Amino acid sequence: LLVAGAAADDGAALLEVKKSFRNVGNVLYDWSGDDHCSWRGVLCDNVTFAVAALNLSGLNLEGEISPAVGALKSLVSIDLKSNGLTGQIPDEIGDCSSIKTLDLSFNNLDGDIPFSVSKLKHLETLILKNNQLVGAIPSTLSQLPNLKILDLAQNKLSGEIPRLIYWNEVLQYLGLRGNQLEGTLSPDMCQLTGLWYFDVKNNSLTGEIPETIGNCTSFQVLDLSYNHLTGSIPFNIGFLQVATLSLQGNKFTGPIPSVIGLMQALAVLDLSYNQLSGPIPSILGNLSYTEKLYMQGNRLTGTIPPELGNMSTLHYLELNDNQLTGSIPSELGKLTGLYDLNLANNSLEGPIPNNISSCVNLNSFNAHGNKLNGTIPRSLCKLESMTSLNLSSNHLSGPIPIELSRINNLDILDLSCNMITGPIPSAIGSLEHLLKLNLSKNALVGFIPAEFGNLRSIGEIDLSNNHLGGLIPQELGMLQNLMLLKLENNNITGDVSSLMNCFSLNTLNISFNNLAGVVPTDNNFSRFSPDSFLGNPGLCGYWLASCRSSSHQD
Amino acid sequence: EARRRELVGPGSSPPTCRSRCGRCHPCRPVHVAIQPGVSFPLEYYPEAWRCKCGDRLFMP
Repeated sequence: LLVAGAAADDGAALLEVKKSFRNVGNVLYDWSGDDHCSWRGVLCDNVTFAVAALNLSGLNLEGEISPAVGALKSLVSIDLKSNGLTGQIPDEIGDCSSIKTLDLSFNNLDGDIPFSVSKLKHLETLILKNNQLVGAIPSTLSQLPNLKILDLAQNKLSGEIPRLIYWNEVLQYLGLRGNQLEGTLSPDMCQLTGLWYFDVKNNSLTGEIPETIGNCTSFQVLDLSYNHLTGSIPFNIGFLQVATLSLQGNKFTGPIPSVIGLMQALAVLDLSYNQLSGPIPSILGNLSYTEKLYMQGNRLTGTIPPELGNMSTLHYLELNDNQLTGSIPSELGKLTGLYDLNLANNSLEGPIPNNISSCVNLNSFNAHGNKLNGTIPRSLCKLESMTSLNLSSNHLSGPIPIELSRINNLDILDLSCNMITGPIPSAIGSLEHLLKLNLSKNALVGFIPAEFGNLRSIGEIDLSNNHLGGLIPQELGMLQNLMLLKLENNNITGDVSSLMNCFSLNTLNISFNNLAGVVPTDNNFSRFSPDSFLGNPGLCGYWLASCRSSSHQD
Repeated sequence: EARRRELVGPGSSPPTCRSRCGRCHPCRPVHVAIQPGVSFPLEYYPEAWRCKCGDRLFMP
């Protein structure tokens, strides 16, 4: 009788919980009558009929979590994730004394994490990520002897990470990314002997990585990225067994310690956007299980070690925005799994090695802003998966190889700011997926190929600052997605009538050519300012004081 | 002495996964992505090692 009474109370408590939800009409319509154990999302104990689990995730529920939830003394699991719940987490949650799993993630809950949570001695999983929670992380969470998963990511929590939390021997997962946490990393952090996931990305932590970091041997993921951490990367980091080491977006200085090259368990190594200096240790080439290597945005000097060509599982290699010198090692051609190679904004010189064409899975190759010379290798056409090729702002010479037109998937082709000569191969017009073509600031001659009319997806064409002549081909009028066309500073002749049907065009510069005739005003062509047409002595416009001599002739 | 230093020194290697998949064979180390929450499209997920047998994953 006592048991039945308690179960009946549970039904009443559930109806109270329902009352403070909104938007329940469609999803909780069966929450009425006596048999609360048959209600949607309610799971009862087989013997006592007390509510053991409440799973109402992803039902678009709004409103608040009622304090009545505290009356459900037998609840083992509450899952309210992915709703639109607002208000605070009720203090009464601390009365659900049997609870093991509490998941309120992906809602709009605000207020503090109630201290009463620390009364839940059976709690194993606490997931409150993606809410609007404020205040400090209660240090009393350290009193939860069974807590294995603590995920408070993507809230507005502030203050320091309570040091006591690190003395939890059963904690396996600590997710604190995307808050406003301050203070330093405690030397105690490696007391977490069971922890495999430590993530404090995107907070405001300061200070250095503690020397004790080498004791964190259970960590598989260590993500300290986007904080304000300083100092050098300690040698002891080499004792970690991590698969992911993310230190990007801090203020780390000094060299990349060679010991990192011994960390064969690394799958992801991200040291990007710090102030690291000195050379790239050649021993990093030993990392034969690493898929992602990010070192961009530092102050790295010296050459690219040819040994990086031994990283046989590498997919991403980003070395851009450093001060690297020397040539691109041909050994990089051994990276047949490479997907993204970014060497932009260094001081690399010498030719682009032919071997790069052996990176058959390369999707994006960016060598912008170096001092590369020689010609563009014809063999690049073997990179059939490539969607983006950027060789701009180098010292490249010779012609545009016609073979580039065989890289069928190319979205972006940028060869601007080089010393490229010869005509534009008409076959470039067969790159039907091309969105952006930039050949500006070279020494190209000849004319604009009529085949450009086949570039049906193209949004931007920049051929400015070359020695191009001839007419603007009529076929350009077929380019209905073209938003930007820059042809300034060439020797282009004829009139502009072919552009009248480019209705998407919003940036046009054809200044300083030899165009003639009248700039039309129909088809909204007057949307372009006179600046677009300057420096064409034979061109008459709709604006004042234009082409006085030719109107005189009329 | 050199051997001892090798044992206690820095460095790591992928898990061997020996007898980590219960009775399931073969048991091999793989990378898995850990989804930490809502991520921005250009961000990568952190990765960890797991032992894999068939479609099942086990802690190394």
